[in-house]
Amino acid sequence: MRGLWQFTLAELRLNLRNPTALFWSIAFPTLWMSLFGALFSEPMPGFGYEGLNYANFLLPAGISIVILASAFIGMPIALTTYRETGVLKRLRVTPLKISTLALGFTISQFLFIALVIVVLFVVGKIFFDVQVLGSWLALLGMIIFGMVTFLSLGSAIGSVVGSWRADAVITQIIFIPMMFLSDMFMPISIFPEWLQPICHALPLTPLNVILRDIVYGVPIDNLWQLGILGGWLVAGAVVTIVFFRWE
Amino acid sequence: MNSAIVCEHVTKRYSSLTAVNDVSFSVKEGEIFGLVGPNGAGKTTLIEMIEGLRTPDGGSIRALGLDPNKQGGELREKIGVLLQATSIQPDIKVKEALKLFASFYEHTVGDTAELLHTLSLEDKANSRFRKLSGGLKQRTAIALALVNDPVILFLDELTTGLDPQARRNMWDFVDKVRKEGKTVFLTTHYMEEAEKLCDRVAIIDYGKIIALDTPRGLIEQLGAESKVIFKIEDSDMDAAKFESIKSVSRAEKSPDGFTLYTRDENAALQGLVRLADKQGFRLTSIRTESPNLDDVFLTLTGREIRE
Repeated sequence: MRGLWQFTLAELRLNLRNPTALFWSIAFPTLWMSLFGALFSEPMPGFGYEGLNYANFLLPAGISIVILASAFIGMPIALTTYRETGVLKRLRVTPLKISTLALGFTISQFLFIALVIVVLFVVGKIFFDVQVLGSWLALLGMIIFGMVTFLSLGSAIGSVVGSWRADAVITQIIFIPMMFLSDMFMPISIFPEWLQPICHALPLTPLNVILRDIVYGVPIDNLWQLGILGGWLVAGAVVTIVFFRWE
Repeated sequence: MNSAIVCEHVTKRYSSLTAVNDVSFSVKEGEIFGLVGPNGAGKTTLIEMIEGLRTPDGGSIRALGLDPNKQGGELREKIGVLLQATSIQPDIKVKEALKLFASFYEHTVGDTAELLHTLSLEDKANSRFRKLSGGLKQRTAIALALVNDPVILFLDELTTGLDPQARRNMWDFVDKVRKEGKTVFLTTHYMEEAEKLCDRVAIIDYGKIIALDTPRGLIEQLGAESKVIFKIEDSDMDAAKFESIKSVSRAEKSPDGFTLYTRDENAALQGLVRLADKQGFRLTSIRTESPNLDDVFLTLTGREIRE
């Protein structure tokens, strides 16, 4: 594991220097939360939180966006760029082990997301008086589970996406549609019936639903959805292992 | 003297193409060894097999007694590598990159500030890699290759794409490394560079080593003659007249002037000057051309080496 700490630190620093990563991971969710927080005062109907504090509706969605943006935009772009420009090849002729590289890369993304979530929470607390009514421990656990799952999916995308213009493809084909279909901005019940099972199978849906239930402190009656998240986690890891290329 | 690198019957195929074809050679410790050939000759494939980045289809490779594929981890501790067109994380600063790479190794140079000094990078320590010029990027890449004080330094296309000044800086640098007693394995398609830097040169073409010797040895082996080229103000002279000069084997006349072929430039020049004196003609634009590695390549392959 020699080099792990320095590699993690370097990658974290590089993330903070990358304007694309900063925009999608920090500016976008913060602005989104502030805009919706200023425009609306009640949770949208159809989610089952009518009459409750609206700001609490914003926080879990913000957290989801941060996780999604970092894992699906920042990380695959970094990975694809590193492969295309030969950074991975250069690292390969050092004694740095691939397991150390993968771990360091994941931890740096993890710390980056954690940092952004703290920013988001502070913004939510100061401007909209966000309150976490459920268990903090459950919230933390769910955030970590979500991060690990989405980083696994992000590395899978980074491994599969070859020399395409990765950022455009990922945002247009996966990122934007998924945000709309996964019980974040609008309830799944408004979509046609044939589409709803697909919505439920998306990895972002369980994250949204469960994070929101925890923040609102309502009993979680859909723990089965954790299985969906777990399934995506495994699928992402398998795809990464099969398709990962140094060059 | 021990061998730093030993290759025996090394072969690498890519579907129908045999990139490296039954290549055997060894590199001595402390030697500057050059692999020279045109683009696509198999230089990079060969150097990357020794570095352990590619697996040979046949034959055996030992670097510092280690198998690059099976003992890659151990080998990578002891080698420094400059890849062709290396890149590192674009937004990393030079000094951060050095610190990062140093953290990968058990044994390092210790003082990275001195490394920056050796490569005249002190002013650029806080610059981001992607903002550096080609020459500075190359120097940074070399600093990274030296961070573990390697026993063997691999330099793939050290000066390709660099301007003449940056190229000369690189040559000076290789001289420095030579004095430290490191083994250097480099590839280039500039014959001049190989001739200037290398103790021994292997010429590779279509995946095969077609000649291997010291640059001098290769040129002498060729048996090519030097040329003495000049003009005379009254050019209405017969070329045969110059063949009487001692050591001149042949003289030719062309619209550009006269060319004398000789194995002893010195004697031919002296004879020429004496003849001019005696016969009272004026020599102009005298120059000599010694055979070089370009001629060696041309003779061996029937082609000129070009990018």
